[in-house]
Amino acid sequence: MRYILRRLGFYAVAAWASLTLNFFLPRMMPGDPESVIFARFRGQLRPEEVEALREAYGLSDDPIFLQYFTYLTHVLRGDFGLSISAFPAPVTDVIATGLRWTLLLGGVSLVLGFVVGNALGVLGTWRRGSLLDSTLPPLLIFIGSFPYFWLATLALYLLSFELGWFPLRHAYSDRLSPSYSLDFVQSVLIHLILPAGTVVLVSIGGWLLGMRNTMIATLAEDYITFAEAKGLSQRRIMFSYAARNALLPNITAFGMALGFVLGGALLTEVVFSYPGLGYQLLTAVRNLDYPLMQGLFLMITFAVLGANLIVDLLYVRLDPRVRGS
Amino acid sequence: MAQTADERPIPIQTTPAGQVVPLAPDATGGAMPATRRSAVFGGVRRLLANRKAAFGAAILLMFALVGIFAPVIAPGDPSDFVARPHQAPSAEYWFGTTGQGQDVFAQTVWGTRVSLTIGVLVGIAVAIIGVVVGMTAGYFGGRVDDVLSLVMNVFLIVPALPLLVTLAAFLPPGMLTIAFVLAFTGWPWGARVLRSQMLAMREKDFVSAAQISGESKVRIIFAEVLPNMTSLAVSGAFGATVYAIGAQAGLEFLGLGDISTISWGTILYWAGNNAGLLTGAWWTFVPAGLCIALVAFAFALLNYALDEITNPRLRAQREINNVLGRSKEKLPKRARATPVVRRAG
Amino acid sequence: MGNDQPTDLVARMQGQRLNRRRLVQGAGALGLAVPALGASLRGQPAFAQDAPAVGQLVTVSEQQRSTWLRNFNPFTTDNLWPTGNGVHEPLGVFNLLTGEIVPWLATEWSFSPDNLVLTAKIRDGVMWSDGQPMTARDVAFTFNLFKPENNSGLLGAFMWDYLASVEASDDRTAVFTFGRVFTLGLYDVMGQNIVPEHVWSQVPNPLEHTNENPVATGPFTEIPVFNNQYWELHRNPTYWQEGKPQIQGLRFPAYPGNDQMLFATTNGENDWAGNFIPDIENTYVARDPEHHHYWFPATGDTVMLYLNTTVAPFNDPNVRKAISLGINRDQICAVAMYDYTHPADGTGLSDAFEDWKSPEAVAAGDWVTQDVDRANQMLDAAGLTRDGDVRKLPDGTEMSYDLNVVAGWTDWVSACQIISQDLEALGIRARVQGYEQPAWQERVQTGDFTMSIGWSTGGATPFGYYRGQMSTQRFKAIGESADENWHRYTNPQADELLDQFAATSDEAQQRQIAAQLQMIFAENAPAIPLFPGPQWGEFSTKRFTGFPSEENPYALLSTYAPTRLLVMMELKPVAAQ
Repeated sequence: MRYILRRLGFYAVAAWASLTLNFFLPRMMPGDPESVIFARFRGQLRPEEVEALREAYGLSDDPIFLQYFTYLTHVLRGDFGLSISAFPAPVTDVIATGLRWTLLLGGVSLVLGFVVGNALGVLGTWRRGSLLDSTLPPLLIFIGSFPYFWLATLALYLLSFELGWFPLRHAYSDRLSPSYSLDFVQSVLIHLILPAGTVVLVSIGGWLLGMRNTMIATLAEDYITFAEAKGLSQRRIMFSYAARNALLPNITAFGMALGFVLGGALLTEVVFSYPGLGYQLLTAVRNLDYPLMQGLFLMITFAVLGANLIVDLLYVRLDPRVRGS
Repeated sequence: MAQTADERPIPIQTTPAGQVVPLAPDATGGAMPATRRSAVFGGVRRLLANRKAAFGAAILLMFALVGIFAPVIAPGDPSDFVARPHQAPSAEYWFGTTGQGQDVFAQTVWGTRVSLTIGVLVGIAVAIIGVVVGMTAGYFGGRVDDVLSLVMNVFLIVPALPLLVTLAAFLPPGMLTIAFVLAFTGWPWGARVLRSQMLAMREKDFVSAAQISGESKVRIIFAEVLPNMTSLAVSGAFGATVYAIGAQAGLEFLGLGDISTISWGTILYWAGNNAGLLTGAWWTFVPAGLCIALVAFAFALLNYALDEITNPRLRAQREINNVLGRSKEKLPKRARATPVVRRAG
Repeated sequence: MGNDQPTDLVARMQGQRLNRRRLVQGAGALGLAVPALGASLRGQPAFAQDAPAVGQLVTVSEQQRSTWLRNFNPFTTDNLWPTGNGVHEPLGVFNLLTGEIVPWLATEWSFSPDNLVLTAKIRDGVMWSDGQPMTARDVAFTFNLFKPENNSGLLGAFMWDYLASVEASDDRTAVFTFGRVFTLGLYDVMGQNIVPEHVWSQVPNPLEHTNENPVATGPFTEIPVFNNQYWELHRNPTYWQEGKPQIQGLRFPAYPGNDQMLFATTNGENDWAGNFIPDIENTYVARDPEHHHYWFPATGDTVMLYLNTTVAPFNDPNVRKAISLGINRDQICAVAMYDYTHPADGTGLSDAFEDWKSPEAVAAGDWVTQDVDRANQMLDAAGLTRDGDVRKLPDGTEMSYDLNVVAGWTDWVSACQIISQDLEALGIRARVQGYEQPAWQERVQTGDFTMSIGWSTGGATPFGYYRGQMSTQRFKAIGESADENWHRYTNPQADELLDQFAATSDEAQQRQIAAQLQMIFAENAPAIPLFPGPQWGEFSTKRFTGFPSEENPYALLSTYAPTRLLVMMELKPVAAQ
């Protein structure tokens, strides 16, 4: 219980830190939201009209600490203001359209990568020295060495554009409206293959190596030797004894990887036009859309924190040792 | 208030680029007080005796030479418009020309300079920050550790790429900005690993001996303990370099870098903008990507080798699992338990 | 993943294909005839036909958005593309190619003899899409809606700089009273899109109103599908033009970036696009030479190199001309612009004003073709001595500057790189410095730059261009934000001519004044014209015809131009011919 409380405390601090970072970063850097708005209305507005817009956008001349507290209270209320680049849509409306797709894409690719990578890691260690064990790790390291966006662009061009095997963009077919119908789910899955597949491809190498290393360490433990001495079957030793224990540290890494996969979905979403938060963040940055940027950055961060919390809870269930401490 | 020490073991180091580099520190292996020079030279020699490491080092050496001798290999300004756009590779233009009629080979050669420089700069910066923060936290423990670990963990958990993108867009554009942003987001990975290793090291006899003999804390950390952790620090720097090269290319590909300097990332950016793939001009897209991959692969090999050397359990199977193939001997199929070569100490 | 089992994939793919056909049949049952379907289903990769299988909907690629947000408010900048001149309609449609205003919701109009009162007859028999009649009262309401005293921040407010009042004298007559003589206001007034009074008078805050279900008079008003990644706009069943539009509607997949747009357009998914496409003969036309066409007339705003004339030595016209002489415009047009345009002449006017050009002024602008020797002589004469590779000002500072550009606009970046190389040969260092668009714009507007590439003002006559380049009225001090005249150049003679231009409604007189303005520009080189901007437009005749082209230039093909309304009237499905 104490463990969980402490983790909760940590996430609170992390959330506060990212809130603060999020508030100060854009404000301390060159670029001025006011003139950005003015620029967008290219020659159409007069000063008093700009003033009216300033109010609508929530930009004020208050001292920075006052702005900070206003910001915190607004965020707590779930009010991120109005988007500048999609004016007059509230930031929450813009974000709401993307969150579920980022979570879906990130979740699926992370889980798949984790399962496949770890399974291969266990298999490789079991058949140590086999063809699988000796060729797969270097091959996967090599594939993982390519810049992700490069592989993804190439895959999109070759498989979707030239061969037409996969859709070129979006999370589901244009002709469908979101629903729980079979057609829609099928369409979502097909649109997910390439974006998630490329992420999985570059990430399994890491899981495999991590699993392999811990497996090798675990296999040297006395209880394995004991199990072997007892005459248990190799399969039993591998899966019930070694893999199960070796998996624990990888679950922690799973939490860590969440940050990358959700954050890194940015590149995936850009390349595959997947309608998630990442692409919106890039658009917001290009338009210097402060409110939208802040909202998106927070949303991604909170998604990562939340996911980590879930992993922590899972960890407590899996590893009795932390429960005691 | 909150817990800060990392309670969950971290078996692998996942760099923010998504590259997962095996980095199991051998906390049980004996560390001996070593003089700096012999540790470094001995380490390099041992490293290069490893075939993977030698191969990785050879690749890196090649790229370093290409970068250094760029003016000799491809004389002239690589951004000059020299020929018709999108010409296929030929004897004159080995890698063809870009959509604007620039020499792709010259750009790739000159791009090596910028990309490698940024990568190495960031790698070194990250290693230094990591050593200072991680070892300080690990050595002092208590409140210092609480605070530093909290900072590390917050940085670790805040998603790096969105932070990177936001930062890159706001700071004045330029190579230094990119380097700063990459170091800013990349440092906690190495620091975290070094911290946990330092925690283990703190209990060693030679540290106690140094403490008793009244050496200053700074001296103990950096002169006594650090030489024993070189491989970890170096491995962290390698990982950070790979991260930096990849992330830089990613930022530039998104158009957030300085697109008028020539690096591998900007070459790819321009290839995309000039519809290199659509017009069938694959040569604008492939060389830069391959270069990034080769460099990253080389560093990964070095790290892989480092890991094998410092982790005795992995070392035992080095002969079997040879990256370059050519396995000489095979362990009996049924041998499961890992042979461990323990050093005395 | 997935790659392991190609056969399984293909099977699923085919399943998807059948589903789509079923869907299309469903659409047919709903009244959407699908004659072109058979043809479009054949011989195409499974996913490429996601778009085409939709009967009579024209797929348009204009805005690049990662996600669609429902906004049909014609008074905000971020509305969806067809909001103006599509859903809503203007009083008249200005056609840049003919220089005429095509009567639309207004049938005729005229100025009073003193040019202070503009009276417009409003078309009879036009209905709002909710069945109410459209009258001159709606027109008066619209103009008074965005009057700054009534609502601030709405687009169009600038018209009240010269307007004094807008009233409806009866249901069919709108009367625009001007506060000062400004005949060019006609183009602004006629181009205004009209909204219904009975709907918009109920809107509490027009600036934040998203007008999700627009009540309008345009050819397309129905929105049966609206998702974040895709939406459709169908025809107005009660449209006032008999038999128009001839297509069922428009459809809009969200293309978040250039790459996606390029993939879709070259794949033949887009019927009508207004995008920059590099190397278009190879990327687009070559994919389907029979159906894929483009038309990039150089009638857009002229792209300029701006030198900050408040900074020495750029206050010297000879230095500006010398720099212009150093630039290889042919190379810029060939490399950066893929030969889509041609070098500008010394008047700076685009091809839209070809018949306004004065031959004398064109001849006087002899500083737009590259002549490095002459450029060097002029720089020497200006006292900028060469010291090694770099020239120095009389006070000894090196001529080394940043050349600002929008980072993502690669055609401009490429042009700047060429300029930078050209200036190097003159002994002037110009480092290409990219900024995100808003940051770049902030710099030019406040005068915080020395060299910058940038657009200029277009419009119905050369007036807008020359006012933007030389007028004291558009001048702002350094640090203040200027919409135009970023280079901060003023010329009293030009001011006088511009006033005269705006005071007359006699075109012959306007032409004569324009010739004098051109001469002033050619003699003083306030800024350096590079090339007239092409207006992008691509179309595929695979499913629809009737697009304007070089052979049939009834309107601009560009989706951005107001004449898109004319194009929407002419489009028809191939099978219907």
